[in-house]
Amino acid sequence: MKPPPAHALVNRLIALTLLLLVFSGSLGLGAVWVRQEISQTANRSRGFVARINDVERRLDEVNAEIAAAVNPDALLRQNEAMRLGLAMPREVQVVRVDGSPELRLAGKRNREIFSLAATGAGAPAFRVVTASLR
Amino acid sequence: MSKGFANNRLTILSLGVVACFMAVGVRLVFLHVIDREELLRFVNKARRQIVVEHARRGAILDARGNLLATSRSVMTLAVDAWSLDEYLQIEKNPAKRARRAAEEQAKRAQLAGLLGLSVADVEKAFVPAMRPVKPEADQRDGKVDGLTKDRWVKLREGVDESVYDRVAALNIRGLTAERAYRRVYPGSGLASHLIGYLNKEGTAVTGAERHFDLYLKGQDGWIESEKDGARREMAQFRSREIPVQDGNDVVLTIDSVIQHIIEDELKTIAAKYDPHFATIIVSDPQTGAILGMANYPSFDLNNYSKAPLDAQRNYAVTDIIEPGSTFKIVAAGAALNEGLVTPASLFDCGITSIDYKGKTLKLPKEDEPFGMLSVADIVAHSSNRGAAQLAMRLGEERFYDYARRYGFGQSTAFPLGGEVRGILEAPAKWDGLTITRMPMGHAIAATPLQVHMAMSAVANGGALLRPQILKEIRDTNGNLVRTFGPEKRDQVLKPSTAALLAQLLTGVVREGTAKGFDIPGFEVAGKTGTTQKVIDGKYSTTRHVGSFVGFFPASRPQVVLSVIVDDAKVTSGSAYGRVVAAPAFKHIAEQLIQYLDIKPVQPASRSLLAMQGGVR
Repeated sequence: MKPPPAHALVNRLIALTLLLLVFSGSLGLGAVWVRQEISQTANRSRGFVARINDVERRLDEVNAEIAAAVNPDALLRQNEAMRLGLAMPREVQVVRVDGSPELRLAGKRNREIFSLAATGAGAPAFRVVTASLR
Repeated sequence: MSKGFANNRLTILSLGVVACFMAVGVRLVFLHVIDREELLRFVNKARRQIVVEHARRGAILDARGNLLATSRSVMTLAVDAWSLDEYLQIEKNPAKRARRAAEEQAKRAQLAGLLGLSVADVEKAFVPAMRPVKPEADQRDGKVDGLTKDRWVKLREGVDESVYDRVAALNIRGLTAERAYRRVYPGSGLASHLIGYLNKEGTAVTGAERHFDLYLKGQDGWIESEKDGARREMAQFRSREIPVQDGNDVVLTIDSVIQHIIEDELKTIAAKYDPHFATIIVSDPQTGAILGMANYPSFDLNNYSKAPLDAQRNYAVTDIIEPGSTFKIVAAGAALNEGLVTPASLFDCGITSIDYKGKTLKLPKEDEPFGMLSVADIVAHSSNRGAAQLAMRLGEERFYDYARRYGFGQSTAFPLGGEVRGILEAPAKWDGLTITRMPMGHAIAATPLQVHMAMSAVANGGALLRPQILKEIRDTNGNLVRTFGPEKRDQVLKPSTAALLAQLLTGVVREGTAKGFDIPGFEVAGKTGTTQKVIDGKYSTTRHVGSFVGFFPASRPQVVLSVIVDDAKVTSGSAYGRVVAAPAFKHIAEQLIQYLDIKPVQPASRSLLAMQGGVR
């Protein structure tokens, strides 16, 4: 059998070398691309963290301003400035109601309806109101 | 193609590749072996950086979640005038350079308006200047003349974030900003003695800020990373990252509204009586939780540096007073608890001396002449001689033992303000008259808080609790980390005795020394106290400590309240507890009833009408 010519082997070697270069080059480019992506993602992530921190900072600032605005002294000053005349109730003004006021008022309303129905002519037109029906 | 040419080509290619590899190899040897140390030093200096992330200090909140102290970010603005100069020098065209300079000047005028500074002040900061530097460190600008470019001139500190946003939008050349956290106290002077403050260096100095610093401060984090030429972090090269742990929030037991009510009352007392100091304490008898604790004089936490040191003292725990007649609850409670007397037991309070253990002891003076008084009357009318006889029934040892059990002479373990223990000497150190004087609150010294907690024990079925100021710890997300419950110190009295004593104490406002300060329907139980101040080693007849310590409703106590006024100046008469403290007690109690929705013990008749839905 006739051996292959030497230049054919060299050409094949060169072709393989080129292929290897292309392959390793693409690997290198791929690695660079991956690193670039990693870098961009890391920086984006850092940006998001910075934004979250920024929002939290602003939230704290708003909370501090709200706290300063609603502290009792500030509210009293507002009360005076706006001439609202709001004051703590005195015991004599307070009527204390034990139990459920809803049921009691419903009972009162029903008593009124029934007594009207008892005195009026014709069929009574009423609806029984209870707290549970609301 | 000839064979020789192919061989030559192969040889050249091989040699080329080998040469390339060798060149790379040689370079690598230089980089990694020969110049390694130097290059590493350079790289570390030029690129590596450690970024410290400061932990945000936790907030201090009241029991209802209102902010009492929080951290707020503020900016410090500084000027690098040389940077502006360099920016202008880059432009070689004089016309364009002048236009740039004019644009920057216009921005600086707006900056002055935003910062509330004069344009001249801002312009002065933007003039490039040199600053002196040690000659050995003077290598930055190439000349060793002891001067270097001043690249940081402070323009303004404490700039709010919102203002800074507008400043940043101007994009002014040479303006730099640094963020810092500043502690702010939204309530200003509210509960200042309890909250405490951080000084300019960020060190916790007093109050909750200092005592709960461990919970509040958090832990700084850090990132080991690399930076680019513009000193921006390259996040992809982070090699180590320790996450920041923000501080926990501390929730106190105090209530902002109650605190405000008592501080308001203190202002009234101060305006009316100009006392040396005054203290008001409010607590929940069942838990020992302090709902409010205020002192006069006080100070604004946001301007603590302007407050004198005296105004920063928490008098409720740092100063001792003779408790006076409020101490009579010790003798009365002990005698009742031991079964030595009943409320109806009679004592002759008209006598001036008494035989005790073979000696005749002179009894203390009374404010008004008394005859035979029952134990109930001794308590209601605050008889000094009656209290002395009750203590004599007990004997020195037992009386002393009860005083200790009430908490006198011992620390209450209240953590804020540098508490002192007070003075209660053992019977071995008593002189012959101490058994007659101590029951009326002389020859003993206690802090206002000790007196308050002793009364609280009566209101709490005889159980003495530790005063509680810390309610819970929460993390930054609001999750509960730890809660703190009531802590019992001692059982001073039997519950039945405590209930009986509570009823006797209602006599004080009904018919006794504080008659007229009752609140109908709410069974106010309390005890007035008046002691002469010791001036130059003698009891003064003109300067007093007046107090009223009590609780309500007596049959189911919900609030314990103490008002103590030291050295009140009254226009006529003496600064008795009923004069200077009892009115404040009543005024505060009326407000607390509404705020805490405390129900009356005996419902008023008008309530019955409402209960029937208004039908009558």
